[in-house]
Amino acid sequence: MPYLGSEDVVKELKKALCNPHIQADRLRYRNVIQRVIRYMTQGLDMSGVFMEMVKASATVDIVQKKLVYLYMCTYAPLKPDLALLAINTLCKDCSDPNPMVRGLALRSMCSLRMPGVQEYIQQPILNGLRDKASYVRRVAVLGCAKMHNLHGDSEVDGALVNELYSLLRDQDPIVVVNCLRSLEEILKLEGGVVINKPIAHHLLNRMSKLDQWGQAEVLNFLLRYQPRSEEELFDILNLLDSFLKSSSPGVVMGATKLFLILAKKFPHVQTDVLVRVKGPLLAACSSESRELCFVALCHVRQILHSLPGHFSSHYKKFFCSYSEPHYIKLQKVEVLCELVNDENVQQVLEELRGYCTDVSADFAQAAIFAIGGIARTYTDQCVQILTELLGLRQEHITTVVVQTFRDLVWLCPQCTEAVCQALPGCEENIQDSEGKQALIWLLGVHGERIPNAPYVLEDFVENVKSETFPAVKMELLTALLRLFLSRPAECQDMLGRLLYYCIEEEKDMAVRDRGLFYYRLLLVGIDEVKRILCSPKSDPTLGLLEDPAERPVNSWASDFNTLVPVYGKAHWATISKCQGAERCGPELPKTSSFAASGPLIPEDNKEREQELPDSGALMLVPNRQLTADYFEKTWLSLKVAHQQVLPWRGEFHPDTLQMAFQVVNIQTIAMSRAGTRPWKAYLSAQDDTGCLFLTELLLEPENSEMQISVKQNEARTETLNSFISVLETVIG
Amino acid sequence: MVDRVGVFEAVNQAISWALRLRVLAAFSASSASVGRGPGAESLTGTGVGKMIHSLFLINCSGDIFLEKHWKSVVSQSVCDYFFEAQEKAADVENVPPVISTPHHYLISIYRDKLFFVSVIQTEVPPLFVIEFLHRVADTFQDYFGECSEAAIKDNVVIVYELLEEMLDNGFPLATESNILKELIKPPTILRSVVNSITGSSNVGDTLPTGQLSNIPWRRAGVKYTNNEAYFDVVEEIDAIIDKSGSTVFAEIQGVIDACIKLSGMPDLSLSFMNPRLLDDVSFHPCIRFKRWESERVLSFIPPDGNFRLISYRVSSQNLVAIPVYVKHSISFKENSSCGRFDITIGPKQNMGKTIEGITVTVHMPKVVLNMNLTTTQGSYTFDPVTKVLTWDVGKITPQKLPSLKGLVNLQSGAPKPEENPSLNIQFKIQQLAISGLKVNRLDMYGEKYKPFKGVKYVTKAGKFQVRT
Repeated sequence: MPYLGSEDVVKELKKALCNPHIQADRLRYRNVIQRVIRYMTQGLDMSGVFMEMVKASATVDIVQKKLVYLYMCTYAPLKPDLALLAINTLCKDCSDPNPMVRGLALRSMCSLRMPGVQEYIQQPILNGLRDKASYVRRVAVLGCAKMHNLHGDSEVDGALVNELYSLLRDQDPIVVVNCLRSLEEILKLEGGVVINKPIAHHLLNRMSKLDQWGQAEVLNFLLRYQPRSEEELFDILNLLDSFLKSSSPGVVMGATKLFLILAKKFPHVQTDVLVRVKGPLLAACSSESRELCFVALCHVRQILHSLPGHFSSHYKKFFCSYSEPHYIKLQKVEVLCELVNDENVQQVLEELRGYCTDVSADFAQAAIFAIGGIARTYTDQCVQILTELLGLRQEHITTVVVQTFRDLVWLCPQCTEAVCQALPGCEENIQDSEGKQALIWLLGVHGERIPNAPYVLEDFVENVKSETFPAVKMELLTALLRLFLSRPAECQDMLGRLLYYCIEEEKDMAVRDRGLFYYRLLLVGIDEVKRILCSPKSDPTLGLLEDPAERPVNSWASDFNTLVPVYGKAHWATISKCQGAERCGPELPKTSSFAASGPLIPEDNKEREQELPDSGALMLVPNRQLTADYFEKTWLSLKVAHQQVLPWRGEFHPDTLQMAFQVVNIQTIAMSRAGTRPWKAYLSAQDDTGCLFLTELLLEPENSEMQISVKQNEARTETLNSFISVLETVIG
Repeated sequence: MVDRVGVFEAVNQAISWALRLRVLAAFSASSASVGRGPGAESLTGTGVGKMIHSLFLINCSGDIFLEKHWKSVVSQSVCDYFFEAQEKAADVENVPPVISTPHHYLISIYRDKLFFVSVIQTEVPPLFVIEFLHRVADTFQDYFGECSEAAIKDNVVIVYELLEEMLDNGFPLATESNILKELIKPPTILRSVVNSITGSSNVGDTLPTGQLSNIPWRRAGVKYTNNEAYFDVVEEIDAIIDKSGSTVFAEIQGVIDACIKLSGMPDLSLSFMNPRLLDDVSFHPCIRFKRWESERVLSFIPPDGNFRLISYRVSSQNLVAIPVYVKHSISFKENSSCGRFDITIGPKQNMGKTIEGITVTVHMPKVVLNMNLTTTQGSYTFDPVTKVLTWDVGKITPQKLPSLKGLVNLQSGAPKPEENPSLNIQFKIQQLAISGLKVNRLDMYGEKYKPFKGVKYVTKAGKFQVRT
């Protein structure tokens, strides 16, 4: 595109637009305008002809009008003074007899993103809300939200909100949905549009008349409604029944989610619903659209967490076809791995075995890991397959198989013998760090059953100088020491050499320290080494490798049909963290107190906390000292997220309080001296995700109460609640 | 009036759900206690907000050739995250559909060698966005005959008009093709000629009448001189056939597409000879679900023009006939730079109909340099860069089965391929729904005239794969 000649182009177009001959000829005039738009979409700066374009908007030709409006919306922010001229024409068009023109003009006016426009659009919008053409009302309703955004989200116009609420009764379904959308945006800070009983029932009755987008959105809004009685609940479920069979997967998922949430006290109904949507979900999994397939598969995995075996009879649906994109294949393999049962295990394993030799190394490795997962239940068959795979002598396969073996012997010690027989020879086909570590670990722990283990390790010791991964060296040290305990004669010499190398020549500090540690340990005596290295293997971290327990449907129902199943909750939290303060609705989720961590929590609560690793447990980071200046700046820039008053009686010792806060990793920034009235303190803390909590304590002895105000740099209500419960524990 | 029907139905269904619950409860009354998980109370914000912030269209070579913003302008640089993901994925097409960036999420679809990348700022139901993007692509296809970069660039002004009508403030508005076409007339050669003579526009001057009807999917006052109703029953066979020719997996995905050009407000009911065949059916919103549940009859007031009436699956494997078989012998010799390739394709269970439009596609292993083949029918091409062998067979005549055989040249010194390639087969059978589904009759109520009715059947290969 002629970026260089853009000035010439503008000049030429300007001339053409001013030419009275062209202006007289509708077609030629419109063609010139089309050229302007075309250049504009190609990124050329066309703002130079703004004046001429504004003139062109005064026409009866509706296409020309549309084009000029499009142009004005793009360049109005750049030329606000000139755009004011355009507003005049737009205002006039807002009362055109043709509803199409009225709608277009109103929409364009609301989309002029420039300061000062709000005073001009207010009246046309209000008129538009009462227009007799639904087309105009649709535009006007969304215009309300746009106007609110222009105001800078500051004040909410009560009259406008009421008008919008009453327009929920409009006979045009799209106006109704637009009202919801608009209210949601305007009332963002108040927690969004309120769905009470009359509105909920009204929406439910209108559902069948909405288009699929409207249905999907209304279903989402209805999640906020809590039916008053069981009968009402079932009435709603019955009304929604047919949407579980909608042709739009979005609506099906929306309806499913609503069912799951509404029926949260009726696990049978939940299971029943999941059975009923099995068909639509499976259909989505083999949809023409790869993207739909992918998202549907993510949701299938989510359901399988709670209902393992739910899709077992349909396992063949999840066989991969080679033309599918990677991300679908990887999901399918994961699903297959989870729905194995006695009947299909043979077929599934055969299928997975086929994937292991796929041209794509990533996919092949995923398939091998999947077989490893199945091996926890069907050990013999899987170990046999994995052993056969080693025979292929392919580097990327061998390394993953050995890693799988390592995990497997932990969980299923009965397969140790088979694994040990398979291992010899692998070392030739492993080059990467992970694979080497796994092999060395296996040789170290089970070396007494592998005849040539010392010789394999000896090769590693010989080449330790050229070894690039420190982790491999560490593993080698440990493994050799372990093997030395069971086969001292063969290992003594090379252990000496390795220790010498690690202590004298190694540059990596961690390896060196480990070498020194083992050296000193050996000096203490062989029995002590045995006691430490070969003590019973009841390492609690092993729980990580085991299957997570079945999760109740309610634990993920609120995440259903969102991006969470695609990302996983933990990942999701870190993404949404960056979103800044979204909205903190009035209905704060009630996080129970055990989510808060700290030494003040009794032992039994701690155990529960481990069961729920990602339930938003709060971990305050120790020694996160803020400077007073920084604290002050942050404090002033934030809004109060939580305010609370605690009763306070009796003696007051600021020092003890400070100590207590120190224990739970809350830092004291500043504090009034004891006895001052009113007494104040400023505290700060930070959790492991980087969320800052700033707190002000205000004690007024005459009221005998302590006022607490907490500010947070990211609005996350769960962590906020946990933090407050920590505060309460300390103060209360 | 319609509301009352809704309430009535509600009462009916209320019984069904309440019953269902009671039956279930009775089943497990002894053992189950109505438990509540820990998450029961923690229903957090449902996050209904603005949906689609911006849309970027990107071609396969990574040029952003069109962008549209609905709220505020998001810089093109946000697409860098998309390109990054593209680089990470070995193949361009393997970019995951959902990508997160520090401030946005990018949800994309890949259609006809183009990426439609939407920028999202709040939590949204991903399926909703994906479906919408597909609808945008469908609309382009519908308007311009193809959804390609060239077509979009040629019609850039119409594209903007369409996007403006389809989405306002980030929310989907008019997406039904027949309503859109009344708002914005599609470009045709004839019309552009006429336009240039008369100076008339591509835009309807009046409001679409469809918006004033009280049935959202049908406009009021439709009039045709020839009243016609056509139904296309299209079935696609998805199957995986293993080495020995036995079926690993087979399933039929079927749809009934309708083209209805009837005056007034016709009320149609369509019945089948064997409705129980259909496992899983999803319906166009116009279909009365209750009638289907009770009588297995499709009863509906149709939209005007083309639409998809239902889609269904037939998945019980003994019902899925496999119409073709492939005899194959593909072998690579150890320590030699050549291999043999020999495939023959023949008819099987084709119900006496001709199988036509057969194409076989094979992704050969990377070590294959070239192929010297001869075929008895049709023509073949081998692309040495992508290693794709395409054999265009045409139709099968049972007297002389088409075959393709010859030598495969391998890279010398490279190890022999671990696995034989799979064959992807495309075919088509006219006048046959492979599931055996048959339309029984179509009745029309509510209007006086006699419509012309027609049903066409066609069976195609979907993801039809033969392993060797």
